[in-house]
Amino acid sequence: MSNTNHPIMDEALLDRLKEILLKDDRQELAEIKKILESRQHLSEKVSPIIEEHLSLLKENFSTEYEETINKLIEVKLENSQEQILDTIYPALGTMIKKYVTLQLETLKESIDGTVKNTLSFTAIRRKFKSVFTGVDESDLILSNVRSANMEEIFLIERNSGILLGTASIKKTIDQDVIAGMLTAIKSFVEDAFKRESLELEMIEYGGYKILIQTFYSYYIAAAVDGTLTTLEKQNILQSMHDFASKEIPNIPKPLSNENELISSKLKDYFIKGNTIASTKY
Amino acid sequence: MTSKKIILTGSFGVGKTSLFNQFIFSKFSDKYLTTIGVKVNKKTLNIREHQVNLLVWDIAGEVSQDKVPTSYFLGASGIIYVFDLTRPLTYKGLVTDIDYLKQLLPGGVIKIVGNKKDLLNESELNEILGHVDLPVNITTSAKTGENVEQLFIDLATELI
Repeated sequence: MSNTNHPIMDEALLDRLKEILLKDDRQELAEIKKILESRQHLSEKVSPIIEEHLSLLKENFSTEYEETINKLIEVKLENSQEQILDTIYPALGTMIKKYVTLQLETLKESIDGTVKNTLSFTAIRRKFKSVFTGVDESDLILSNVRSANMEEIFLIERNSGILLGTASIKKTIDQDVIAGMLTAIKSFVEDAFKRESLELEMIEYGGYKILIQTFYSYYIAAAVDGTLTTLEKQNILQSMHDFASKEIPNIPKPLSNENELISSKLKDYFIKGNTIASTKY
Repeated sequence: MTSKKIILTGSFGVGKTSLFNQFIFSKFSDKYLTTIGVKVNKKTLNIREHQVNLLVWDIAGEVSQDKVPTSYFLGASGIIYVFDLTRPLTYKGLVTDIDYLKQLLPGGVIKIVGNKKDLLNESELNEILGHVDLPVNITTSAKTGENVEQLFIDLATELI
């Protein structure tokens, strides 16, 4: 009898054989199916792999993608040139304008000084006096100049006008009120003339000047008595910038009027020695 | 000690400067001097165990609040909106003004104050308050000083 005569039997045998041979594979397949279809099981298996890849990505991100990101930034910058210029131009323009104005004023003062010194009657008389008395001419000039004193310095919150710190060499009216009024005047002027990105820089009456340097969240105001040359003014403004970049970062934030460190730093930095010449610039 | 910036605002002639002078200096003058720009002064209050420096900005009166320079409101913790109980025009735009101020100072404390109560008797006062479109926090008299200190104490208490 040949097997070909019993196809049904053959098929059953084949199925049986398959069952025996593929038993393990089928079990494994069922397990895999179970894992794939159950979110929790799949997550247990896949999460560690993803986490491992993520941590590798974190560690090597800059080296792997630096070039791609740089290219993206370059493209973005190139496409947004106008927007970037729009943003920085006002600030840049103001800075350049301020610098050029100061330099021109300094130059003008220097020329005026030279002309006066050389041609004026006072200068000629001073030269004679110097020759006859033996006192150096520059000392004679200095003795005629009324030196400027920094009398008060304020660090004020820009928007609210709340006084954050102050130092002074003499007792004036309530300094909180001065800070408030200064801010009110500043706000009024800046609002009234509607000159975008310009800030009030100086208030002057008689021989008294209040120099103001505005930063992002605060401003510094220095009350100076006496004659102030452009160079001295420039130096004070520079010292305010230096204070903002060197001292303010060391003061705990947020800056608050309850922090006495601010006033003590202002005193050390600006008032020491009572004259402008001795401030750190 | 904490410092808080407070804005006194409202239409012209409602008595903002008189409230300011009464609160800061305990003084009242019948002379009307219009405020130019802004005047700033301070008073320290003791609220429970806290000392609060109130820096009060007395702003020149404007018919509507959108005429006041917005920079004055920057960094303020509270606004006192004053109207004259005897002049309906000074509280006619109250809803619009308060909406505008809330946008300028989101999260800030706003007090609505009816001033010059000394010019009214109780029934007149109640009738007028019935015509005001928003609840009035307090009614004051800068002339007699009634409720002036209380107004600022209430405000400071909410701020600490």
